[in-house]
Amino acid sequence: MDCAVRPWSVELRTLDGQSLTLPCDPQQTLLEAAEQAQWRLPAQCRQGSCGACHAHVLAGDYALGEHNPAALPKGAHGGILLCRTSPCSDLTVALPYEHSRIGLGAVPQREAVVSELVRDGEHTVRLGLQLQPDANGGAIAEFEPGQFMELEVPGQDLKRAYSLSNTGNWEGRLEFLIRLQPQGRFSTWLRDQAAVGAALTVHGPQGAFGLREHGLRPRWFVAGGTGLAPLLSMLRRMAEYQEPHATRLYLGVTREAELFGTAELAQLQRDLPGLQVTRCVWQAREGWGGFKGTAVDALRQDLAALGDAGDRPDIYLCGPPALIDAAEQAARDLGVPDEQVLSERFVAR
Amino acid sequence: MFCYQCEQTQRSDTATGCASQRGNCGKDATTADLQDLLVHATKGIAQFAKRARALGQPDREADRFILYALFTTLTNVNFNATRFVGLLHEAAKLRDAARARYEAAALAAGQQPEPVTGPATWQPAADQAGLLQQAASVGINAGIDEVGADVIGLRSLILYGLKGVAAYAHHAQVLGQEREDVYTGIEDALDYLAQDPADVPLLLQKALAIGTLNLTVMEMLDAANTGTFGAQLPTPVRVTPVKGKAILVSGHDLGDLAALLEQTKDKGINVYTHGEMLPAHAYPKLKAYPHLVGNYGGAWQDQQLDFANFPGPILMTSNCIIEPLPAYRQRIFTAGPVGWPGVRHIEHHQFAPLIQAAQALPGYKEDVPEKTLTVGFGRDAVLGVAGPVIDAVKSGAIKHFFLIGGCDGAVPGRNYYTEFAEQAPQDTVVLTLGCNKYRFNQHDFGDIGGIPRLLDIGQCNDTYSAIKIASALAEAFECGVNDLPLSLIISWFEQKAAAVLLTLLALGIRNIRLGPTLPAFLTPNLVQVLVDQFALKPVGEAKADIQAALLETA
Repeated sequence: MDCAVRPWSVELRTLDGQSLTLPCDPQQTLLEAAEQAQWRLPAQCRQGSCGACHAHVLAGDYALGEHNPAALPKGAHGGILLCRTSPCSDLTVALPYEHSRIGLGAVPQREAVVSELVRDGEHTVRLGLQLQPDANGGAIAEFEPGQFMELEVPGQDLKRAYSLSNTGNWEGRLEFLIRLQPQGRFSTWLRDQAAVGAALTVHGPQGAFGLREHGLRPRWFVAGGTGLAPLLSMLRRMAEYQEPHATRLYLGVTREAELFGTAELAQLQRDLPGLQVTRCVWQAREGWGGFKGTAVDALRQDLAALGDAGDRPDIYLCGPPALIDAAEQAARDLGVPDEQVLSERFVAR
Repeated sequence: MFCYQCEQTQRSDTATGCASQRGNCGKDATTADLQDLLVHATKGIAQFAKRARALGQPDREADRFILYALFTTLTNVNFNATRFVGLLHEAAKLRDAARARYEAAALAAGQQPEPVTGPATWQPAADQAGLLQQAASVGINAGIDEVGADVIGLRSLILYGLKGVAAYAHHAQVLGQEREDVYTGIEDALDYLAQDPADVPLLLQKALAIGTLNLTVMEMLDAANTGTFGAQLPTPVRVTPVKGKAILVSGHDLGDLAALLEQTKDKGINVYTHGEMLPAHAYPKLKAYPHLVGNYGGAWQDQQLDFANFPGPILMTSNCIIEPLPAYRQRIFTAGPVGWPGVRHIEHHQFAPLIQAAQALPGYKEDVPEKTLTVGFGRDAVLGVAGPVIDAVKSGAIKHFFLIGGCDGAVPGRNYYTEFAEQAPQDTVVLTLGCNKYRFNQHDFGDIGGIPRLLDIGQCNDTYSAIKIASALAEAFECGVNDLPLSLIISWFEQKAAAVLLTLLALGIRNIRLGPTLPAFLTPNLVQVLVDQFALKPVGEAKADIQAALLETA
């Protein structure tokens, strides 16, 4: 059977009668396609051996790859393992669990009030929000480091996405580092109207940028301006968990006056003793004691200094697209495999 | 990586064992390799600790570390590579201390310290690449081309049995029970493995010695559990939710549960047990806490679904953890030897963040009408009704006992143990031990003259209780355990079950039915030895096996 024709449409039906549809390439497994669609279906070994991702094809043709026959439910036709099954036609698949068990849903929406609004450096504000109790009476801030929230000013048709700079907590605290854009509408709101106690609606957490949790490679973080926010969240999480990876942070700004986060980084260095911080000022004045040049210049210099020895680090990039592109190029030039470079681009609106 | 220590290991026509970037349990290759290296490092500690002990200088810090380190390498315990880097460096320090202790003791005794080679000389490499390079030459199948698969299989049987012993001994140790002879046995065995032994008869003998050692350890654990929390009593356990904030506790560590119950009392938080923690409800000093309200969920392999639906934080105190889904990743905590990258870890019973999470999370909004099941037929409870049981056997009302013990795998089509229990004739009693009972323990088995037909003895950790019950019955009937109308139907999943199997064999128990598959590390030759010496049987079809088992002692 020729399976390599086109992406097929796969309908997943849950136990409680709900239906999800996703495209799936003939070369993809159903599990991979679901994950690509941001759906996390229960699975375990992902190698066709454990049976934890078993399901049942109700209609359509498929290819079931190498697997342990004992892992399949016995007695009925159409038993599959999602991690080993690719479509050869449109498919309808019955999942043996309810919809609520799938890591999916509308982006959560919560109400919050401004709890802190502090200018830090020439262009940056630190915005603290306190989540209001939700329908269950809780005010939990659940998110992974690296994720973002969309902040909406009620009644003003104004919504912007900002990365969180703190870590998940049970008190409902959210923290953002926001660069004030001269003409930006949200920036204008922050400058002119926002005050402690002001109400905001938050949508999130969202986004896939985050720490690669497995493995031991050194972790290097490169921030352009307020691209520091998600990286700060990751570093704070590493400090909370006392993770032992060799860790470096490069923070780049154009002029010294723009530097921010000094107190936060000093605290972080106390909490994460192995952290090496390099502040980079591109247009530094005489007497600047830190690195003169961009964060990418510093990255390139330090990667080159590794020579042929030492583990190539995982590199986390966040900031404007030009910085990301330049850093990716530097990493590529100096032998860091593409899959070890993770990035989030900040595009000003 | 190469790993074939658990039941779900990769098996195909061409190869056995997990040898790709990720094992079937979810362990990545880096973690697997570092676990191999940690086992190597513990051998090095044991080499010196054994010698120092012989000179009257035991090293309790080293003893305890060996238990803990081996426990972290069990299936479904610790998946966090960074924790293993820390443990490796700690192992090197403890090994150095053990060496210094040994050398000082030798000199004090007027002896020249003997040169110790092998794992004793290992030094941790400076970086990840170096550690992984070291690991490559110390895996379980190192040297297979020279010594052959049978020798490697026997070394595996000893090592995996030792891992089980270490896990049980760790559980006892955290409750304050330790024995010098146990540490001696563990370190002697590690020292033996450090010499890369290849004498097959001696390897077999050493494997059975691990079984004997494990019997001592299980006795010690039994004493720790009952000594700390009282003897188990038959107890109905609620399996439906109670309105209020909620914490779920999984794994085997009763000490963690006790500490958490103490820290949560009067806080308006209900505590639920999960999986192998279920038997906790039968211990008087644990069930005395009114907020230990019930049991939630099924066996470990259902945890991804169960945990996602639980409205509070979850504490994993030992195996078995599988990959936490995003739905509950923020509210699952690990303790003790357990670890998962990106999951909060708690040491030394510092449960404040867990309690804070419970207070912030919704908990159950409503009561669900009460349903219960009964646990707690430990040896005291069973032997307390020994008179009626013995009378029932003598009168012919009870024809046979089936002990169904061990742990299930995750495979959904695996119904052997359920079919076995449910098809057992009405004049037989089913004793359960471990977590394969979750496939059938809500089935109504009825009773025989007031004696329940399904008696749950407890965790797999309670095997000692089962052995005591069998021994007491044998005494009452003035026969050997093999002559009792008793059949053992054992499912194995990980290394604690390997230790228990070795114990049963060391006790000379025959006709054990072992499944759902035989361990991959047992070669056909080794299986034949076990069949010849112990009449060990792989499980077949439930109905036929029941008939055959009834005939074996008819």
